[in-house]
Amino acid sequence: MQYEMVAGFETHVELATNTKIFCSCTTQFGGDPNTHCCPICIGLPGVLPKLNRAVVQYAIRAGLATNCHIANISKMDRKNYCYPDLPKAYQISQYDKPLCENGYVQLSNGRRIRLNRIHIEEDAGKLIHKRGDTYIDYNRGGVPLIEIVSEPDIRSVEEAKEYVEKLQQIMRYIGVSDCRMQEGSMRCDVNVSVRPVGSDKLGTRTEIKNMNSITFIGKAMEYEFNRQVELIESGGEVEQQTLRYNDSENTTSPMRGKEDANDYRYFRDPDLVTISVSDEEIDELRKTIPELHFEKVERYVGQFSLSEKDASNIAKYRRIAEFFEQASDGVKNPKTVANFIIGQIFRRLETEDDKESFDIKTTAAQLRELVKLIDDGKIRNNLAKSTLEQMLDTGKPASEFISESDMAGLDESALEGLCRKAVESNPKAVEDFKKGKQKAVKSLVGFVMKESRGKADAAAAEQLIISIIG
Amino acid sequence: MVTREDVINIARLSKLYIAEEELDEMTKAMGDIIKFADTINVASEQGVEEFDNINNLKNAFREDVVVPSYERDEILKNANDIDEGHFLVRKRV
Ligand SMILES: [Zn+2]
Repeated sequence: MQYEMVAGFETHVELATNTKIFCSCTTQFGGDPNTHCCPICIGLPGVLPKLNRAVVQYAIRAGLATNCHIANISKMDRKNYCYPDLPKAYQISQYDKPLCENGYVQLSNGRRIRLNRIHIEEDAGKLIHKRGDTYIDYNRGGVPLIEIVSEPDIRSVEEAKEYVEKLQQIMRYIGVSDCRMQEGSMRCDVNVSVRPVGSDKLGTRTEIKNMNSITFIGKAMEYEFNRQVELIESGGEVEQQTLRYNDSENTTSPMRGKEDANDYRYFRDPDLVTISVSDEEIDELRKTIPELHFEKVERYVGQFSLSEKDASNIAKYRRIAEFFEQASDGVKNPKTVANFIIGQIFRRLETEDDKESFDIKTTAAQLRELVKLIDDGKIRNNLAKSTLEQMLDTGKPASEFISESDMAGLDESALEGLCRKAVESNPKAVEDFKKGKQKAVKSLVGFVMKESRGKADAAAAEQLIISIIG
Repeated sequence: MVTREDVINIARLSKLYIAEEELDEMTKAMGDIIKFADTINVASEQGVEEFDNINNLKNAFREDVVVPSYERDEILKNANDIDEGHFLVRKRV
């Protein structure tokens, strides 16, 4: 029998606010253990949590960017469980009235992965297990999170990966999180079940907890899919359970459950008042949502005739997309700008992080100036390329490296002179060309380009050389 | 109904010591407390909006501005056990 995978995601994303969700401690990553703490975030009795306005705004923006309905009224609830990473023995979260509901993320194959909800909550502290003892650092405790809960709409590992990447891109684009999976600012719980192809019933699902790498998510889902299919094929039944993925062995294994894990005894947090957001406020926040990655790709392809791949490579990183748009503003051919970015500039940005932070010396205006020189026929591509290298090294504008005489271009007689010189000094190439070797003319053009330091018009030179030889 | 076993269990979870001779009294007292709390169930919910909370407030927000955190020594003052700047929970033996 053929089986299909049915998967859903619960994705935790740490918000990039300055302060924690209920106190004014910094959210900065790292820091010596327990130095970003106060009585509120270590859960001392008698303290009063106060909700960070920015957390509500960030979460609403995340909801708007994923097509959610934003609730005008919502509230905070206590989720009770006893574990040392949670000093109050409850987590403040949202239960039955989340901020955002009923959204979706659209995949490139056109399928929509429906989002059940996005709610806000506090992160737990970090536990470090050494020799059986547990060391607790509450710096992360109280850092604001959104939890994005999808419906079980994902049908393959490829869709799962694209879904996570897309969420990552969206959240980065709107600036609500850096979504660094390595540092734990984005973490996924994946629930997986299988069913015979064509069936519309859901099988018993297992949940793989706390995945922090897209590669591992793919491998774990693959493993879990095969395990469940084999189990069913051999007459067994899938048991609903929580699993941990062991990346060194590429297997999943059951996790020991937290005490009384299924009964969280949710109730409204009496210390936190109702959250009320008007339609006007929602509209204001909607205006802050920038054009998103996939929308930019569409526009770059349609409007600037970039290839889908180039468009996607540029649009993927918000800063680079903005740089591209500013540098292309008013130039004849934005493709030239795109080529400079993907070629020479990307060569200097080796890692994803480099591209994300996009720390280069040249400004968009400087690149635009350079491209305009090409547009106006003042310099040729070769000279522009070498100039850009110098600009990127120094942060200085093109005018520092290109003299007036460089920009003058070559007049016809100068070009003709150089072409004659090329023919005279390369008898071998001329012979080859006469024997029918078309390519030989290229080395003659190369000679002209070199002599003119890139100023000559290569196409015109080729025409001229052929007529001189002929 | 609160049983002696409930009280023993709760005492254990709360790390409280209760002597054997205190148990009966404690069991009755806890039963009374829960009965008292249950009176809330007879209160009418009519005319009460779903989101009303006791002081009828909404949107008590804090601005997103960092205030220096506490000194770590202060933070760790209540800890039973400390090591390398961490709260420490020792292996149960
Ligand atoms: Zn704090």
